[in-house]
Order: sequence, then C-alpha cells, then structure tokens
Amino acid sequence: MTRAPSQTPAIDLRGVTKSYGEGPVLDNLDLDIAAGQVVALLGRSGSGKSTLLRLLAGLDHGVTGAVTVAGTVSVAFQEPRLLPWRRVWRNVVLGLNAPEDSRQSALAALEQVDLSELADRWPLTLSGGQAQRVSLARALARRPDVLLLDEPFGALDALTRSSMHALLRRLFAEHRPTTLLVTHDVDEALAIADRVLVLRDGRVRSDLLVPEISTHDPMRRQALRTTILDALGVTPDERD
Amino acid sequence: MSASALTASPRTISSPRADDDVAGPSVIARSSHPAVPRWASLLGVLALWQVASVTKLLPIDLLAPPSTIATTGWRLARSGELGSALLVSSGRIALGLLFGVTAGVTLGLLSGLSRWGDALLDPPVQALRTLPHLGLVPLFILWFGIDETPKVLLIAMGVAFPLYLSIHSGVRQSDPKLLEASQVLGFTHVQRVWHVSLPSALPHALVGLRQGLGMAWLSLIVAEQVNSSSGLGFMINNARDFLQTDVVVVGLVVYAVLGLLTDAAVRQIERRALSWQGAQR
Repeated sequence: MTRAPSQTPAIDLRGVTKSYGEGPVLDNLDLDIAAGQVVALLGRSGSGKSTLLRLLAGLDHGVTGAVTVAGTVSVAFQEPRLLPWRRVWRNVVLGLNAPEDSRQSALAALEQVDLSELADRWPLTLSGGQAQRVSLARALARRPDVLLLDEPFGALDALTRSSMHALLRRLFAEHRPTTLLVTHDVDEALAIADRVLVLRDGRVRSDLLVPEISTHDPMRRQALRTTILDALGVTPDERD
Repeated sequence: MSASALTASPRTISSPRADDDVAGPSVIARSSHPAVPRWASLLGVLALWQVASVTKLLPIDLLAPPSTIATTGWRLARSGELGSALLVSSGRIALGLLFGVTAGVTLGLLSGLSRWGDALLDPPVQALRTLPHLGLVPLFILWFGIDETPKVLLIAMGVAFPLYLSIHSGVRQSDPKLLEASQVLGFTHVQRVWHVSLPSALPHALVGLRQGLGMAWLSLIVAEQVNSSSGLGFMINNARDFLQTDVVVVGLVVYAVLGLLTDAAVRQIERRALSWQGAQR
C-alpha cells in the first residue's frame, strides 16, 4: 500500500517557532506532509513533538511562522478522554452536527473498531484498550482529513498495543486520512508509518521514508531502526 | 476466592465437604461481628429511660418517658394537630427550598461559568457566607416582621450558600483534559457547558444540596422557635409553656424524621443521576 503522495500538502509549516520562557521548543521548523501520508513523529521528551501536535490541533497559540492545516482535524490523545457521564455511543458522536440517526453513525464508527456491542456501556466500565478504541472511533467518526494521534497507545500493554497497530493499519487503508502519530516507540513508528520524522531540540533531525518492503525484511528494518535511534541521540549502551 | 472455585466441582460429589467450605467464611464473619444486632443497644437505652421515669429518677416535668411520648404522638397524629402543624412547617420548607435552590444554582452557575460572574458575584457571596445566617434573625424581624417572610428567607439562605459553593467549585473543577477534548471535537459553547461543565459539577452540587437541606431544617427550627403561631415550632413552644415534655419530644422526632426523608430523597437522586460513577465500583 504505497501511497502516491499528492502534490498539495495537507500540513504545511514554514519557519514555525514556539518558545516557553527559556529557549525555543520549536525552532524555525519547516515541514510539509502530503495528503494521505502516515507520518510518525519521534522524539525524546522535551523535543517539542507534543507541542507540534497541539499546535496542529489548534490547542496551542502564540507561535511565529506560518501554519497551514488543510481540512478537518481530529485528535486522539494519550488518555481516551471520554466523558464518563455519557454512554459510549454518545461519546462517539457528541459534537458532530448530525443529530438525526446519530446512534446509527455511532454504531457504524464503533463497528470499525469492533466495539459495537459496547455501545450502551458507561466509559468507566471499559478496559484501557477498549476505551482507547472508542476514542479512535470518535476521532474517525468525524471523517477527518487530518488525524492527529498523541501517543495513543502509550498506556497500553504490549499485546493490546500490537493489536491496535493492526487495527490502525486497517483503518488507514480504508479512510486514508493524513496522519501524524506522536510516539516515543521506534518499533511502533516502523509498524504504522510511511514516513518517520525525528524531532530533536525543536528541529527535524531526520526525515526518512519507510519502504513497505522493510516491514518484511528484518535486515532493512534493523538498519532503519539504527538510523532512527542515532538521530534520536540514543547511545549504543542505551539500546536494548 | 480461589478456594470456592476449587471446591465447586467436589461439592456435587460429596455434600458434607461442601458444607464445611460454606461454613468457613461465615465463621470468620461472625467472629469479626458481634452477635448482638445493632438496634439492641438503642432498645436498651429506651428501656433504661423508661425505668428511670417509672422509678421517678427522671422527673416527668423534665423529660416524659418513651411510652408516654409514643401515646402522645399517636394522639396528636389522630387528632390532626400534628398533621396541620406538619403541613405548615413543610410548606415553609418547600417555599424556602424553592427560593434557596433557585438562588444557589443560578448564582453558582453564573460565577462558575463566566469570568465576569466570578469577579462580580463571588466576593460578595463569599463575604456574606461568613456571616452566621441564623444570627440575622433580629434584623430579619426588624425588616420583615414576624410572619412567614423571615422564616422562608432564613431557610432559603440556609440552602443557598452550601449549594452555591459546591456548584461554583464543581464547575471550576471540570477536568481541563475533557474541556480540551471538547474543543478539538468541535463542541459549541453551549454543548461544552451541557456535556462537560454541568455533569462535572453535578456530584458536587448534590453533596451541597444535602448539606443545604440540613441547614434548611436547622433554619426552620430556629425560625419557628423565635416566633410563630402555627407549625411544629409553635406546637413545641406551646407545649413548653404547659410543661408537656412529651409533646416537645414528639415535635423533635418529627423534625428528625423529616430531615431523614429529604436526605433520602437526595440520595435517591444521586443514585439515579450518578449511575455512571457506580459502574466502576
């Protein structure tokens, strides 16, 4: 499923700088992401990756430079952030401007993450993985042009996480939203993304395409992994 | 727990073993819990009180025995005297709650939801709240006379302040992460208030309402003691003049029962409105 990147970028940043007190968090950042591309944004904590995502989500202001995000944006956060006092299906469609047969669209969205049978549950009765899938269904129900994922699987166990990766790949194949996935997990990035960006000290240190073949070729994969870890500034004795 | 799972299949084969296992946990429960039921000591106190009265250890002028109180209660109920007093007092409470809840909810939401409301309303309300509102009785009598108005106002103040405080802080304590999520989900302002701020405040508001109800009943009792020509307080005051301690106690018991009833009503609302919370336990 190699994507033919279209010429119009869905996300376009030019000379974006953002500072909180001491030093810039984003330092004169240039970045464009083609429509339909799935991009993983890697970086250590404090590298500015979350700031970048919040900026694209419209949650952070006060930056210099030009930020263009084409179309509708959806976000899934690290925590599911479901409203505990609304049933699961209501959570999926709240805020959508389609009041009629909204239950139907909620069920359809939940069907995509294989959770339609939990539509009438309270969010607090869900497991972490289920809640995160509901959060994903909620993000996709908006039919976003741009999907922003902020370490959405960080709090999940390894098994649940890998089944979420498979789910995401399936959903991407169907919906093809332009996706920016913030993560600190190199393997997660390689499992999901077409392109990996490494952010360090508020700048893009490395910009790599992930050829589809690398998912089946352990040698290529290992080579990519090493390149990314180098770009992250992970020393050899820090690696597992 | 695992033990019961293990014995699940043997139980069908040999019932004596199963019986042993069933007896196990209940023995433990019995040893940590005294065999005496909890109401037994209460009954003991009533019995002692009765004995003290019969033996003249406790003069009837100071406190009537439980038996007399029970028969007096029955007599007052049957004559309709208690019923009409109850009706008058309940009417005062109802009216006071209507005004107090309306004021508490309106002011609490205004100051909780809007920055202007907070800046303009919160300081004076916080200042007023430090006044013991029952201390306002003399002023209220000067301002409003001795009929229903000061009583209803006292009750309203009793319920309004706790409700205001809980709603104000409840709205302010809305989870910023949920507010942020509602922003990226494209909620309108009204949707954000309706789906995030108000449900966040509801558990606080219900705790505030229960506190407020306690204050409301207290305010009613104080207001009716000061001056009234009808209602439970009037019945109690009247009885005091004739040393009818049994009637006084009947009145007190009725106050207590009414307080318990309104508290139970709010608990019922809590159970229904906050069922999403109960789900996690």
